[in-house]
Amino acid sequence: MSLPRLPLTVIGGYLGAGKTTLINRLLAEEHGQRLLVLVNDFGAINIDAALIAAEGGDTLELTNGCVCCTMAAGFYIALGQALDRRPRPDHLLIEASGIADPAAIANAAKAEPELSYAGVITLFDALNGPALLQDARIAPQIEQQIRAADLLLITKGQTPDPQLVAQLEAIGAPAPAALPAEGPLAPLLFELMPRPKAPAPVPHPAYVRWQHRSDRVLTRAGLEALLATRPDGLYRLKGFVLTDAGPMELQLVGRHRELRPATAEATALVGLGLKDRVSPEEIEAWFAAAEC
Amino acid sequence: MSDITLFRAKKIITMDPNLPQATHVAVRDGWILAVGDADCAAGWGDGTVDDSLADSVLMPGFIEGHSHLMAGGIWKYAYAGYHDRIDPEGKLWKGVTTAEEVIAAMKAHAETLPEGAPVIGWGLDPIFLTGERLSRHHLDQVASDRPVAIMFSSFHVLCANSRALEMASYTRESNVEGVLKDASGEPTGELQEMAAMFPVLRRLDFAFETITGDPAAIRAFGAVAQRAGVTTLTDLYASMNPGDVEKLQSITGDDSFPARLVPVVGAVGLDPVTTATEAQALRAQSTEKLRLGRIKLMTDGSIQGWTARVKWPGYIGGQPNGIWNTPPEVLDTQVMEYHKAGIHLDIHVNGDEASEAALDAIEKAQRAHPWPGARHVLQHCQLMGIDQFERCVELGVCCNIFANHIWYFGDQHVAMTVGEDRARRMDALRSALDTGVHVTIHSDAPVTPLAPLFSAWVAVNRRTMSGRVLGAAQCVSVEEALHAVTLGAAYSMRLDREMGSIETGKRADFAVLGDDPTAIDPMAIKDVPVRGTVLGGRVQLL
Repeated sequence: MSLPRLPLTVIGGYLGAGKTTLINRLLAEEHGQRLLVLVNDFGAINIDAALIAAEGGDTLELTNGCVCCTMAAGFYIALGQALDRRPRPDHLLIEASGIADPAAIANAAKAEPELSYAGVITLFDALNGPALLQDARIAPQIEQQIRAADLLLITKGQTPDPQLVAQLEAIGAPAPAALPAEGPLAPLLFELMPRPKAPAPVPHPAYVRWQHRSDRVLTRAGLEALLATRPDGLYRLKGFVLTDAGPMELQLVGRHRELRPATAEATALVGLGLKDRVSPEEIEAWFAAAEC
Repeated sequence: MSDITLFRAKKIITMDPNLPQATHVAVRDGWILAVGDADCAAGWGDGTVDDSLADSVLMPGFIEGHSHLMAGGIWKYAYAGYHDRIDPEGKLWKGVTTAEEVIAAMKAHAETLPEGAPVIGWGLDPIFLTGERLSRHHLDQVASDRPVAIMFSSFHVLCANSRALEMASYTRESNVEGVLKDASGEPTGELQEMAAMFPVLRRLDFAFETITGDPAAIRAFGAVAQRAGVTTLTDLYASMNPGDVEKLQSITGDDSFPARLVPVVGAVGLDPVTTATEAQALRAQSTEKLRLGRIKLMTDGSIQGWTARVKWPGYIGGQPNGIWNTPPEVLDTQVMEYHKAGIHLDIHVNGDEASEAALDAIEKAQRAHPWPGARHVLQHCQLMGIDQFERCVELGVCCNIFANHIWYFGDQHVAMTVGEDRARRMDALRSALDTGVHVTIHSDAPVTPLAPLFSAWVAVNRRTMSGRVLGAAQCVSVEEALHAVTLGAAYSMRLDREMGSIETGKRADFAVLGDDPTAIDPMAIKDVPVRGTVLGGRVQLL
């Protein structure tokens, strides 16, 4: 398998939570990545006509290299076609339907060897969401969407109500935070490590970025203990860790982690979180406490 | 003036109360010209007497209101289910009861395939297999150098051999929900739910759309109907992609296609306003043998999968209530838009909370846009009680009741889902009829075999697989059951002007039977031989 694995991120959340708005922002952003988005229907996709390079059937191709496809023929058919697409996109984003369990979709990324898991982002509408949690008929499915989240973003509110945040945390959401009203959303999806020759990512005030490079060697058990106590607000962490059992490659998204043997000469990590929920100092203090 | 053909039969059961029985039916241009005795069409001039049905019993062609095209195409794979089944070519597949029999059936199928090709089976029901649970070790005995996989009857689970697991990169390291492991930590081969099955299905080139989209699969579906005496049947969750209408028109339009096909487009997640417009456009492309323009909506899941939405007190095992595939508030909007646009709806409802949500949605739509003849159909209706049937009558809603469930799943419903008291009144055909609901019954093929005489047998006898009678109070008469699979179904599909009974002015669509189901032991109805069908006056014997 010579092609790189295709990272898959799922956007979940009930109807009206803002999934399409988020997708529209990602498609229009200048991130230089070939993003493939699978949506339920084109109706709400709102792209400046000047950005549309080609349009036909169930596919919309943009001049910036992004592509949007509908899943009219069925999700797994669309997923197979996404994997067969050449050149392979840099990232796959799936819009879950309003009542879907995003974890069930993201499970495909864990199962399929040509995919890699890149997180479940659940959106929660601060205006209408609380009433849905009171509706006995639909609340269990909304709660499952909340529990499935690696990142829970609150939409349609300026500063989230602390009571609501506490309620969402009680249901099982890790570090609920407001969706950044402006600025790029690309840091939530794309490669954290700058590619060779690519410009270094421009830091944006909505995000916290943390980097570490050293020759520290952790014990295997120490690494496990460290990962188990990671800050809630640290959404993504990627890189290499030297351990007494050999170098390991680490990839962490929310509560999902992959750890595999690798070749590396240094412990080198990049982390990312939302400013509202985590600080570089908090991450630094956490990592410094690791047992060598 | 066209030719008149006068068919002579041993007996004709007409479903027309004005003349319940006859011996002759005259046909012109595919329509019934007259019904009665040898002289019934005498006033219309000379005709040809056709004696090919003279020792057969004719009934109105059966109408299957809930089946799926997959019931045809799935037969390109090996059948590995517990019950005997007959494929579209008429070959009997004996049910399998042990892992050894599964292996033998798959091996025999492998020999019919090109060397190295994936060996795929379907229909397995592990609860009926004696001995240890089927694993990759069993399937490795089918072949170790080529992939082997068997889909379970639910289509939510499969079992794969070691080669197929290797192709999908499943190992003891795999940490994927739905990939089952044995005591030593190795994958057993059993993969649950689509996410875990996807890597195997993709590499074995098993795609559900080719099972329904291939011309051969569509023709096989027609053959399945013909074997069951069915002249009109639904594909109750179709998708219509560009080119599909032309393809279906061409295949069904051929004289060799033995039935009328009613694809009902599944509209979960689709925008109802644009989809309603598309449905109207589809309706205009209907032909005599292809009826387009209907829409299917979903509500909940299945009772035996504990995904149906059931009212208090819920599942007896304490399982959480099921899931909505469409939440009630969205259903309200969908039903309103389609109803407003004059689109006939089929709505999947298994649990009683789901049927209530569907009735609520229809009531709102009916108040906003009164449409007395809408005849929307609730599909499955498994836990509906008299209170909900009364609402159906008030709203002009038809019920297509999943009678076959009593036999296939009745014992499980008693033991594992809703318990004896509610299982007794499941699929309550008697209550529905007494309340005055227009009802039909169905197979949901390929979930259970497409066979209206079997469905009628279940409705009459309500036997389960263990042999007991489940809910004797809900049994119906043979005549009522036969009405349900003919005129009842035609009414629910708004086709009763053309079909459902053998009377002058309707289409000459008949089931050709080897015996009279009204004159035998009701326990034998399911065994009445089907000799074929007549479609638009064209005789199609098996």
